[in-house]
Amino acid sequence: MPGSNGVTVISRRGLLNWLLGTSLGATMVAALYPVFRFVMPPKVAEAPVNRVLAGKLSELPPNSGKIFRFGSKPGILIRTPNGDVRAFSAVCTHLACTVQYRPDMQNVWCACHNGVYDLQGKNISGPPPRPLDAYKVDVAGDDLYVTRGS
Amino acid sequence: MRNHVLAAAALLVVWAGGTQAAPPPNAVRPPGKHAEDTCTACHMGLDEARLRTPAQLTDSDIHHTQGITCAGCHGGDPTSEDATIAMSPTRGFVGKFTHQAIPDMCGSCHSDAAFMLRYAPNIPTDQLQQYRTSKHGLALAKGDTNVAVCSSCHGAHGVRQVSDGRSPVYPTHIVDTCGRCHSNRSLMTPYGIKGDEVEEYKRSVHYASLTKKNDLSAPTCKSCHGAHGATPPGVSSVSNVCGTCHPTQRERFDLSPHKDAFAALQQPACESCHSNHEIVHPTDTWIGVGEKQVCGSCHSAGDAGADAALAISSALASATNAIASAQLRVGRVQRAGMLMDDADVKLEDAHQALVLAQVEIHTVNPARVEGQTRAVLGGTGAAEKLAAAAEAEIRYRRTGLFISLAVIALAMVALILKVRSMER
Amino acid sequence: MRLLDALWKALDERLELTPLVEFVQHKEVPQHRHSWAYYFGGLTLFFFGVQVATGILLLLYYRPTAEAAFESVQFIVTRVPFGWLIRSVHSWSANLMILAAFAHMFSVYFLRSYGKPRELTWWSGFVLLLLAMGFGFSGYLLPWNTLSFFATRVGTDMVSKVPLVGGWLLKFLRGGEDVTGATLTRFFGFHVAVLPMITAALLGVHLALIQRQGMHIPEGLEEEAARRKPLRFVPNFMMREGVVWLVGLAALAALAAFFPWELGAKADPFASAPAGIKPEWYFLFMFETLKLLPAHVLGVEGELLGLGAFSLAGLVWFLVPVLDSGSRLGPRGRAFFLLGWLALAYIVCFTLASFAGVFK
Repeated sequence: MPGSNGVTVISRRGLLNWLLGTSLGATMVAALYPVFRFVMPPKVAEAPVNRVLAGKLSELPPNSGKIFRFGSKPGILIRTPNGDVRAFSAVCTHLACTVQYRPDMQNVWCACHNGVYDLQGKNISGPPPRPLDAYKVDVAGDDLYVTRGS
Repeated sequence: MRNHVLAAAALLVVWAGGTQAAPPPNAVRPPGKHAEDTCTACHMGLDEARLRTPAQLTDSDIHHTQGITCAGCHGGDPTSEDATIAMSPTRGFVGKFTHQAIPDMCGSCHSDAAFMLRYAPNIPTDQLQQYRTSKHGLALAKGDTNVAVCSSCHGAHGVRQVSDGRSPVYPTHIVDTCGRCHSNRSLMTPYGIKGDEVEEYKRSVHYASLTKKNDLSAPTCKSCHGAHGATPPGVSSVSNVCGTCHPTQRERFDLSPHKDAFAALQQPACESCHSNHEIVHPTDTWIGVGEKQVCGSCHSAGDAGADAALAISSALASATNAIASAQLRVGRVQRAGMLMDDADVKLEDAHQALVLAQVEIHTVNPARVEGQTRAVLGGTGAAEKLAAAAEAEIRYRRTGLFISLAVIALAMVALILKVRSMER
Repeated sequence: MRLLDALWKALDERLELTPLVEFVQHKEVPQHRHSWAYYFGGLTLFFFGVQVATGILLLLYYRPTAEAAFESVQFIVTRVPFGWLIRSVHSWSANLMILAAFAHMFSVYFLRSYGKPRELTWWSGFVLLLLAMGFGFSGYLLPWNTLSFFATRVGTDMVSKVPLVGGWLLKFLRGGEDVTGATLTRFFGFHVAVLPMITAALLGVHLALIQRQGMHIPEGLEEEAARRKPLRFVPNFMMREGVVWLVGLAALAALAAFFPWELGAKADPFASAPAGIKPEWYFLFMFETLKLLPAHVLGVEGELLGLGAFSLAGLVWFLVPVLDSGSRLGPRGRAFFLLGWLALAYIVCFTLASFAGVFK
């Protein structure tokens, strides 16, 4: 309805329609924004259930070891003196301390009570009653993937 | 005939003398097959329990099941059904052994490496040699018959292998076997042994580990004192003994001024703070010169040792508190619905660093302890950062919610107004 | 807009949309003292729509095997953007849908809208309620956590009590003798394919019937309904319904943010059942009743008797359009009215008492 000096005043009806449209539109956006964010996959594309990227070959020289995470538990990646890559659970089978690789002993050692495991994960000295759980290692280029059996 | 008698007499002399001699041929059967002898058959039917029991135990006796008849130790003829012949001294029958004679008798086979090879390729054969160096062996040589001999611990009849769970020398049973004599105060006092060591050991973490957690690697009497060569470790070798299983603590101790100081004072290393039998879980409150604190036995307030103890104790206290408060915060956020696996890992790292800090105590060097407690604080700091991020995320979600609620409310109002205006 | 008009004209020329439009537009919603009850059906439909949408979204990441199910839900809730929201909305909307369905059913019952010619609507609705509870039961297992594993075990144990076919029924539901990964896969199949298919068909029938037959005016309120003009379904009632649906949406968002759905711990089939295993709240009244019954009653197993009683009650409820014909004011009408209140009171009291921990 035109105003006294010819300027169009926004009608009440028009305002209401605008309000309705905008608020419903905003509601739609508020509902659809999470949906659109949801359908785009996150950086880590799958749940790290049984397979993790544990390290890089170039960063693991022979006769060295590296601790990595498998879920919330530690694992140990080993490069033997002759170049093989192996992976085991790093949870010591004695009292669950985290084991480490000893380049001087060329074996896996547990600092808590002097338990020793050989390069096959077998318990060879000290208190540990069982060998370390062995994992499968796949080398893809420079990437080292570790898989554990279910 | 005379030669036979001479031969028999010679055999008797040799046998009675107890020097190393192979047992009579029919006394020892091929290994691995249960020995059958007339001794067992006859003694099974006797009324007197003392004489019947050994026969009843032959099925559970490793000697018998490996082919060694009663005559293999006691002499005599195990094939004769005539008791006078079977138990005749002419056939080498010795009867019950004196306490003194037992070690040499057992050793006549068990120290013979060639003989023992028939039964197991890697069986040890140094038991008698070790025994002779032990307190028991030395006392026995001087004529003391109150001490333990082979059969005191292993049994005489019904001897089981050490690895058999029913054996009195199976790891979980050792303390009770030693305890048969060593908890008897009246028996022990003449030797200057208190007699409460067994009681003390049973209160220790090692005993708990052995019996409750079934950790067969946990130390028992023989682990520190030796089995056959049983001797208390000398003052200078205590840290060697403990260090077999606790090498990291031993390494740290060797770096400390305590090593030389304790040696000079003729004080045993680990035992001075941790005790020898009643070894319990240490706590950080032990560190200091106050009452019930271990450093106070040598140090007094104000000296270098007391200052170091104070520095170490406060570093550990701040690390422990940091872990507690980080755990609290992460727990709170977890209960609010956030998953905090990454923070849990950081807390686990912090906990490991605290354990390492506690190992560093043995260097009595505050700088080394603080090196580890700094790592603890690093871990707790990271965990708290993750908790803070999670808290921020919760606030962000609630803010987002309020905004969307406001938008929805607006849309509702707009709809209602529109309906009203349409129906006017 | 001109473009929309042109589009409409094009479709209309090919499909003759005008009668269809009239069919939709002719519906009217009567206004009277109890017309607030008319919103419940649409609200149930709204929550169902939310379930379909959020369910499809969850399908993008969920894995229906015993090895990966729990981890995939954990992944959704922690690593997928707004995954926590979608998952919590899905769980809450399930509960709100069933709540709305019960409210809808009881209001229809008390307004006696099931009478002729609306028997088919009542019957399709009752089956839809059972399907909704089936959705709830099958969906509850999918996160594969301790609570859902044991609740499923207890729940499926009940079916084995059915005479003659109990054993077969149990194996059919569980995919084996026990609750295993096979059960999970099977429940997943029911939840995302079988039940949606049947529900879609029945829902279509249910809505078409309502559209065809129009809304029922309760006995005694005809005068008031005539006095207060009925609302046009499109657009007046629909806009009001939009407001109600927005309230539902707001409730879902608030619940998801303030009471996020728990993840629990991964199911361990060999662990012993934790104390206090309970099914979802909409099964509680049946669950607690069965627990109260003694082991044996007159030589019959107590639980079997309980199941039989509930089946009978369900059958009576189902057949109510046939059993309760005649006037609301007649003796039969009054009896069924009372029956309805008894049923509602029973369900509400037992459910609330269970939450209060009265049954130990």
